[in-house]
Amino acid sequence: MIKKSNLDFKELNLSLYFLAFFLVFIGLTALNSISQQYDEKFLSSPFIKQILLLIPSFIFSILVLGIPKSQIHKYVYHLYFIGIILVILPFLFEKHAGTHRWLQIGLPFMIQPSEFAKLFTILALARYLSDHNLQMKKFKSIIFPIIIAIIPTGVVMNQPDLGTSIVILAPVIPMLYWSGANSFYLFLIIAPFLSMLTVFHNVAFSIWALILAITIILSRTTLIYSILLFFSNIFLGLLSPVLWGLLSKYQQNRIITFFNPEKDPLGAAYHIIQSKTAIGSGGLFGKGWGEGTQTHLKFLPVQESDFILSVLSEELGFICILLLLLIVGVLIHSIIRNSFLSKDRFSSLVLIGIATIFLSHVFVNTAMTVGLIPVKGLPFPFVSAGGSFLFTSFLMLGLAINLSSNYSE
Amino acid sequence: MLKADNIVSLRQYYAVILIVWFCILVLIARYFQIQIISFDTYKKKANTNRIRKITTNAPRGLILDRNGEILVDNNPTYVLIAIPGELSQKGEKFGLISNIIGLDSNMVSKNYKKYYRGKFIPTRLAKDLTFEQVSKLEENKFDLKGIYYQQFPERYFPSKIRASHVLGYVKEVDKEIRKSLFSREEYELGDMVGWNGLEKKYEKYLKGSRGVYFYQFDAYGREMGKVTDLKPQPADPGQNIITTLDLNIQHDVENLMKNKKGVILVGISKSGEILAAVSSPDFRPDLFTGRMSENEWKNVLFHPEKPLINRFNQGLYPPGSIVKMITQSRLLQNQNFNPDEVYKCEGNYQFGDRLFGCWREKGHGDMNLSSAIINSCDIYFYKTINYYDLDMLSESFKMFGFGKITNVDILNESSGIVPSSRFMNQRYGNFGWSKGAILNICIGQGEILVTPIQVLNFTNLLATNGSAGTPHFVMVDNLPQNVEPKLNLEVWSQIKQDMENVIIHENGTGKIANPYLKNARVFGKTGTAENPHGKDHAWFIGWISFKRELYSVVVLMENAGSGGTKAAPIAQQVFKSIYKHTIKQEKL
Repeated sequence: MIKKSNLDFKELNLSLYFLAFFLVFIGLTALNSISQQYDEKFLSSPFIKQILLLIPSFIFSILVLGIPKSQIHKYVYHLYFIGIILVILPFLFEKHAGTHRWLQIGLPFMIQPSEFAKLFTILALARYLSDHNLQMKKFKSIIFPIIIAIIPTGVVMNQPDLGTSIVILAPVIPMLYWSGANSFYLFLIIAPFLSMLTVFHNVAFSIWALILAITIILSRTTLIYSILLFFSNIFLGLLSPVLWGLLSKYQQNRIITFFNPEKDPLGAAYHIIQSKTAIGSGGLFGKGWGEGTQTHLKFLPVQESDFILSVLSEELGFICILLLLLIVGVLIHSIIRNSFLSKDRFSSLVLIGIATIFLSHVFVNTAMTVGLIPVKGLPFPFVSAGGSFLFTSFLMLGLAINLSSNYSE
Repeated sequence: MLKADNIVSLRQYYAVILIVWFCILVLIARYFQIQIISFDTYKKKANTNRIRKITTNAPRGLILDRNGEILVDNNPTYVLIAIPGELSQKGEKFGLISNIIGLDSNMVSKNYKKYYRGKFIPTRLAKDLTFEQVSKLEENKFDLKGIYYQQFPERYFPSKIRASHVLGYVKEVDKEIRKSLFSREEYELGDMVGWNGLEKKYEKYLKGSRGVYFYQFDAYGREMGKVTDLKPQPADPGQNIITTLDLNIQHDVENLMKNKKGVILVGISKSGEILAAVSSPDFRPDLFTGRMSENEWKNVLFHPEKPLINRFNQGLYPPGSIVKMITQSRLLQNQNFNPDEVYKCEGNYQFGDRLFGCWREKGHGDMNLSSAIINSCDIYFYKTINYYDLDMLSESFKMFGFGKITNVDILNESSGIVPSSRFMNQRYGNFGWSKGAILNICIGQGEILVTPIQVLNFTNLLATNGSAGTPHFVMVDNLPQNVEPKLNLEVWSQIKQDMENVIIHENGTGKIANPYLKNARVFGKTGTAENPHGKDHAWFIGWISFKRELYSVVVLMENAGSGGTKAAPIAQQVFKSIYKHTIKQEKL
């Protein structure tokens, strides 16, 4: 018997909605400025599209508030399998823009199923980690959760969509940490990747080696283990340029384009330069709304989603970006705080998962606009235009608010 | 259910919070670095240095004739572009431009609207500027902020031939065309795309890929040189294509068709290579380049004889007597049929309640199969229709490639009509037609319709005993499979012997076509096709054989009269031209 939940709106942490709508408002400001270019086609501009999308997104978000926790908990595995089927579906149809990312379902817009896979994966992980009284200090306990996340990640990576697949994988580490996995083991999982990546940059590799050494010393493992771990990582790192050199030019190019999905590498470098010039010339207060004279900015093909921060920083300045990042920081902080305060482990894990997804989107998108990282194609939550992600963002927010309240059932 | 308690420790909580704010802080610091610390650098960069991505058009590949003569080349011209976002006082500037280059200022603003795609995307104002015009514009640079020019390779035709239906033309990509293109991301507005003929068929080879350069401009629009930290990518010209055309023969046949209406096709019978092709009336091949005037365009578009139509590929004609050899082969395949049996031609033939006439009203007298071909007697064929039925005849037509496209490498080919009993039932109902229909079809009249390119293929097949390559205009490695009609060797040689007699026999209908050349044998057949659109079409098909090579010729003179008197004399000139130009080349 399902008891009617004595859901009390007073208990709900609705302040999260205020933060989200603040972000939406900032995003709309930028979208409206961009949409001036659309002149007579204003109705098909990203500004109008975003407003039209906000309505169903918010309605579904509110609907999620009303679902009792126990019901969510009960059906997460079903959702997970639906999620896997959804990300496989696009492979059965024709490619759109050269990838299998989108599903055409007879609506005037296409949906990107991988956005839903993000949410469904953390739900499945949360249930697995909370239902089984696992001996999290043991290494083998963290294998199965990784498999749960690897399946959708692998499919999405083949779509191909590197950005989204990283976001699907990202929550695994904090969720394992949250359920008490040995943090040293988690570190060992990440270490080889970092070794291979940092080796291409002298300073980064030196700092990494230092961090590696300190972490191993602090872990107080035996001397032989420590030495073995340290040097195997360093060797792996040093070996990767050799392995890279062994690849043919053609294979190297394929990997480069994989990490940098922009077809034309000249184009990508050009966008970063234009983005940085736009941001830099904005200064403290910006050039004023609608006054983004930086012609280059308008060359950016995805200014309404990937490079929306460049538009904001040129027109409204550093102040706006500061405000934006602080608000998003507070939003993520609140979700993590609720996760910490949550009484049951399932809710706590879902909340930390949602926070991780938001943070990885914020970090990847923002870092890309200023040329810190090459990977692109991830929108900024609540700010960027972009259907499926805006929708899931609100869905996740509704879920976060729902699970934050410690109502009794 | 939700039994498991939350076991997150305060230490874990603080660790995660710390990481979150660390990430946020890194991002804020980076923005601070760019926006506050390096503000002056970037401001200067934004105000005085604008990086612009300039794409250059790749020259299209050249089109050559079989001996390497250039038929289609590129001519560098200049186009004038504007960056809308940098443009103020548009009207004034457009006025100044039109003064300098002598183009209507309405035209300039019309182009501006046509090519406009965004505030900061180069928009074309005018094209085909000469160097003089560009240098005059350069003098007025300071009054023309936001206006630039680019080099643009345009098609031009250096040879003496037109061959407009073969070479085809390129069209400028506009918004509509861009939408219709299959690989549209490779094209920008104002680019050229092959729109017809070989230019269209071989578009992906001819096109090449555009180049990308990055230039810096200062706030006055002065070019400050190339950007060094962005690697340029030079344009990659398109591949050249070598056609099978022979410039000299093509020139001769074009002259033969001047002010006439019809088609001449010349080809090498064995390989299917086409040496010359003209569909008359045609149009200037450079009609679509340059500043075509409204009038010139209307003249071509509304010309009563429709010069834009490719007659040899799309034109559908009744073949008339030129297909009698198919009926002949059908008769010879029947064991009971005796080719030497004589039928009397009295000038007309009663079938049911209809009277069918021979083209020679007073009749041919006694005819056997060979003399019926040589004299092109119709009555003989009327009297022998009992040796086959409609479907057997239509099978024979199809065997020679009629009723379907030949797969020649020019698109939009018509497939023609070969009537079968199924076709007749569909068109006239099951009892709406009688056996009398065969009387028309067996002499190439009635429902049957063919294209001249099918007729060329048919001629090639007759000349080569059924093993000719698919007709084609470009030297390629893999030709599409051609039809392979199978007949007994005796049948093939009988057909050939009769066709030679058409030329050399004193009664031969095609004897005017005889060029009387040394060491050359000529074979042929005339046709006079009745049609509902006026005077008869005159046909001649045949081939000339010398130096172990066979050259096929198809002549069609629309509404000209009889094949023997109108098409055959033209064919004679064509045979001479082939002989002259191929012999000459061998000496070289």
